[in-house]
Amino acid sequence: MEDKQSKFLEDWASAKNVEFDNDAAKEAYLYRANLFKDAIELKKTPDRVPIYSIVTFAPMYVLNVKHKDAMYDANVLGKTYYDFTVKYDLDAANTPVLCSHGPTLDALKYLLYKWPGDGLPDNTAYQFVEKEYMKVEEYDHLIQDPTDFMLKVFMSRIAGNLKPFSKIGTFYGLHEIGLSNSLLISLGAPDVQEAFMALLEASRLHFDWINKLVPHILKTMSSGYPFGSGGAAKVPFDFLGDSLRGTTQLMMDMYRRPEKVLEACERLVPHMVKMGAADAHANGNPLVFIPLHKGADGFMSSAQFEKFYWPNMKAVMLGLIDEGCVPVCFVEGSYNERLDYLTDLPKGKCVFYFDKTDMSMARKKLNDIACIGWGFPVSKILTGTPELVADSTKKLLDEAAGDGGYILGIGCSMDEAKDETLKAFVKTGRDYGRY
Amino acid sequence: MQELINAMVEMEEDRFLDLTKELLASGEDPNAIFRAYQEGMAEIGRRFEQNEFFIPELIMAGEMMNDGAELIKPYLDEDAKTVTKTIGSMVLATIEGDIHDIGKNIYGMMMELSGFEIIDLGVDVPVNTIISKIEEIKPDLLGMSGLLTLAFDPMKEVVEKLKEKGLRDSTKILVGGGQFDQTVCNFVGADGFATDAIVGVNICKDWMKA
Repeated sequence: MEDKQSKFLEDWASAKNVEFDNDAAKEAYLYRANLFKDAIELKKTPDRVPIYSIVTFAPMYVLNVKHKDAMYDANVLGKTYYDFTVKYDLDAANTPVLCSHGPTLDALKYLLYKWPGDGLPDNTAYQFVEKEYMKVEEYDHLIQDPTDFMLKVFMSRIAGNLKPFSKIGTFYGLHEIGLSNSLLISLGAPDVQEAFMALLEASRLHFDWINKLVPHILKTMSSGYPFGSGGAAKVPFDFLGDSLRGTTQLMMDMYRRPEKVLEACERLVPHMVKMGAADAHANGNPLVFIPLHKGADGFMSSAQFEKFYWPNMKAVMLGLIDEGCVPVCFVEGSYNERLDYLTDLPKGKCVFYFDKTDMSMARKKLNDIACIGWGFPVSKILTGTPELVADSTKKLLDEAAGDGGYILGIGCSMDEAKDETLKAFVKTGRDYGRY
Repeated sequence: MQELINAMVEMEEDRFLDLTKELLASGEDPNAIFRAYQEGMAEIGRRFEQNEFFIPELIMAGEMMNDGAELIKPYLDEDAKTVTKTIGSMVLATIEGDIHDIGKNIYGMMMELSGFEIIDLGVDVPVNTIISKIEEIKPDLLGMSGLLTLAFDPMKEVVEKLKEKGLRDSTKILVGGGQFDQTVCNFVGADGFATDAIVGVNICKDWMKA
């Protein structure tokens, strides 16, 4: 049987469905995408390390574009991201869609984040508002019917204009003519109708937005840059802790109702896999980005990691691999104490980008297991000199690049950057990162 | 009393609260119960330093301490309620532009439990608000928190303004957050940095001893 992941990766790296400006652009794209493919598949002694970092507002920051303008005008956003890609010439582009669209969020009265244009200064990055969006007594609702919970409870709490969603009746009555009344009547109530109109309007705005972004995205690819990510997923424990229960509450739940936490995490696994795989397939890009939060060293003990975090993290990763995708985990904080667990994964199928993990230890432990990446501190990009950055980049490459299976990058999602240090970083990677 | 300390350290929340109630009902001195809590906290802190305990235990400990203190309060004399001995005071804030508060709150809680007086100014606190608070109350310490890299510049501004006002030398400054390291600490001009709560508390304890 053909390996689904190899095929998807090969299709992506061979740019099957991309139209190029010219032969040089095609050649550049194939070279760059294959640097990633070689690194992921742990090919020995490839040409050089691929260079890629993720950004959110850094393109606006370095190119002097007001953050608010990027969030409220698709063309400003698309152009800024494109210009950033070309100017700094990383081996993969970032997708502008992560910056989201202010008008859509306004139409929803979105409460889960604050952004420039919504109470934050015009030149600030958007920020998450952590709260207890799921109450403790709602574990059973989430476990029994996660989608029903997300629709009626979660959506009604994270968007002011969707509050009436909490009144939507059960869908199960639809199986009999006489039992379908409660759903239909609940949907007919004026406030519920208004909430649906708000959702439709927000969605219309978002659809217009993506249609304005698509030409910029296609231009990025046709000029020779593959995208570094095709979709995203979360580890269930992070989904539960970041967005539903809140960090403090979930940490107490680990002691007060561990079985509910475990059940909820298990229940969320297929949904996380579906979420990541659906976008990856729609975008023709197998790389599914998974930011890892609450399983890091210092957050919990290894015993807690083994019980609450790792089983579901692994299940999501294996589920994505089964769907032909490449799980690309971004380990925020450090994973020095967790590296041994990761060796349990199938070889050459995943990527781990690191923030503060000891990179020589990661190289040693994951050498034949998984592609590793990043590990360069953003503090040096923001406060260092080009010479310091060049020296530190060389040191990192010596430690981490091995004989393949390494992607050079900065260990965070950058909201800010500095022109001369970022250029020094990329140039050093290109010169010194040859095998 | 040892049983109470054990229940706390073993994270047996229900047992901890039951024992507190039993001790109070049997006429035990509430101050002695509170001292037992502090002993429990000290042990929890030790285990945290030895990498046996992590954030869930710190949060549980803070929760037990608060719930226990609520039970004890009615039994305390009026004097005991207001007289609190502190080993130092700290103005604490998440710097302007940044609205994250979980790290700051856990740190603030651990500082209070360790005997510091914390004046928490909240999140997204403007540089000038921090400066005027320090001018007003002249604390021993200033703690600035930030998850985002955009926190670096305004923190540096605070340090520079304190210098201008002649308040820098009298205020020890700790900065903290996920992206902090020695490079950032030097850039900001702080006296120390921490990426976890207990390390940050211990740095402040050492400063107060010096």
